[in-house]
Amino acid sequence: MEKCLIFVDSEYAKNAIELLEVARQIFDLAPYETYALCIHDITESANGAFDHIIYVSDESVKCHDAKAIAIIMEELHVIHNFGAILIPATQIGRMLAPRLAIRLHVGLVADVTAIEHIDGALQMVRPAFSGKIMACISNLGKKPIMMSVRQNVFLYNEDLNKATSHETFYPKSDLTTNIKWIKTVEKPKSKDIRDSEVLVSGGGGVKKGFHRLTELAEALGGEVSASRHIVDSGIASRSIQVGQSGKTVSPKLYIALGIYGSLQHVEGLKNVKHIISVNINKDAPICSLSDIVVEGDAIEFIEKLVDKIKSEADESK
Amino acid sequence: MKIICLVKFTPDIENFIYDYEKNVLVRENTRMVINPDDACALALALKYKSKHPETVVEVVTMAPLSILPHVQDLIRRDVDSAAVISDKLYVGSDTYVTSKILAKYLMNQTFDLILTGTHAIDGDTSHVPSQIGERLDIDQLSNIIRVDEQLLSLTSATVDVDAEHSISTYEIELPAILSLQKESKYKLPYVKYVDIEKDVSDRIQIIDNAMLGFDQSEVGIDGSLTKVSRTYVKKMSKNDRVIVKNDEAGIETVYAFLKEKGFV
Repeated sequence: MEKCLIFVDSEYAKNAIELLEVARQIFDLAPYETYALCIHDITESANGAFDHIIYVSDESVKCHDAKAIAIIMEELHVIHNFGAILIPATQIGRMLAPRLAIRLHVGLVADVTAIEHIDGALQMVRPAFSGKIMACISNLGKKPIMMSVRQNVFLYNEDLNKATSHETFYPKSDLTTNIKWIKTVEKPKSKDIRDSEVLVSGGGGVKKGFHRLTELAEALGGEVSASRHIVDSGIASRSIQVGQSGKTVSPKLYIALGIYGSLQHVEGLKNVKHIISVNINKDAPICSLSDIVVEGDAIEFIEKLVDKIKSEADESK
Repeated sequence: MKIICLVKFTPDIENFIYDYEKNVLVRENTRMVINPDDACALALALKYKSKHPETVVEVVTMAPLSILPHVQDLIRRDVDSAAVISDKLYVGSDTYVTSKILAKYLMNQTFDLILTGTHAIDGDTSHVPSQIGERLDIDQLSNIIRVDEQLLSLTSATVDVDAEHSISTYEIELPAILSLQKESKYKLPYVKYVDIEKDVSDRIQIIDNAMLGFDQSEVGIDGSLTKVSRTYVKKMSKNDRVIVKNDEAGIETVYAFLKEKGFV
């Protein structure tokens, strides 16, 4: 039976569960077992979702030390001979995966967004050239299959009531770190756009009036997000960027204001229920994905729609 | 202090055109630019050098020789020397091989610190800095938005790392690889007017495979462990969409839709 190791980044436990869906798609109908690697902290949601949890409690191992975690994962691979090793593309995961691939002498695919089987060969799909094209990448070397997986793309709907076994693992190597943690400061609480059900998103067409998007977001109880164009112009922070180089979002309603809808942007929209786009060009690519296309100026649209929402609300009082 | 800056030159993605009919990238006339994150890393090195003149800054890049004018431009901004790693055999190398080639060069250099970028705008795998760290057996940190210049010494650096919801400060022992991101906002200095035409060719060394000595099977497409088997353009799915004008009737349609779906 094949074994699949999944690294659990305790900051983003949800992503570890998503990776179970990747494992399911890799092994398809073949029998396989899943192993979660948890450092210091057994993520509650891993219980029942994985077949096995491997727990490392060694005080000298630090969660921020990719070099040490790669050594631990190599030690585990020597014991288990995994068929696949999956790592979420989080901040630490993106430093960890390349190190482990070098230690194991295997190829690595970054930021995978889909799995395909073509003529019996496994293909890992990821956007390339800033999302202008999709690339299918295959692994030429020996086992294990290794990849980092884009956050918030896969959805796991299988059994979460497994009888999970627990094992504490004691690494053999000396894992003293050369990176000392000093402090962590939380960023001011802007809501994570990935958790938002309504996103009012702005692109190049609303560069001048971008700050006004808040009015509509507030009226709809949603958050403001932005395209890369706006972020690169320094108008909005990268934390609210939608797209391949930003975040993948799944709101129920996405209002695209002055957004052209390049592939790299659309790559960031997964399972979005409804899109309303406002654009002076009704043939912009985003418009072909929309439920309603409003042809015209987006800032004017904000003013009119906010007025309408307010007046309707007043009337019903 | 000797600082090596690893930089990559990438096509200017913003002006990249995809020919959807022929299904190919139109590479003609695409401008090459220094990768924005890498530019910040180099800018930090030069800023540090301007305050500590004993600092030596070397740029290392793997690229076709056509980028030499860009490298000369960096030298004129007060970089001490540059190594351009270039060989026909290296074309088509994946990140596993690229890091192998760069690490082999770096292994024979002396340095206190390697500065580089976190993301590259073309490939955007972020593999190479971490992979070089592994091959040289030194630490590496990505997503750095600030290096405390007061605390930077031959033995350690104190850095702020952007981890999405929070910013963490770490003290890291040197030598190590620090990967910056463009949000660090370090800016490359301008070329001084008198230096615009300055001949800097004696400060650029070209490193080919005769010097690095790889077997053909170890590098390029032959040595790579991943292969791009197919590329395609994602088809955008068509909806039964309604097109309205930005007038009263249009707003009415949008409002009715929002109401029907329960958003207002």
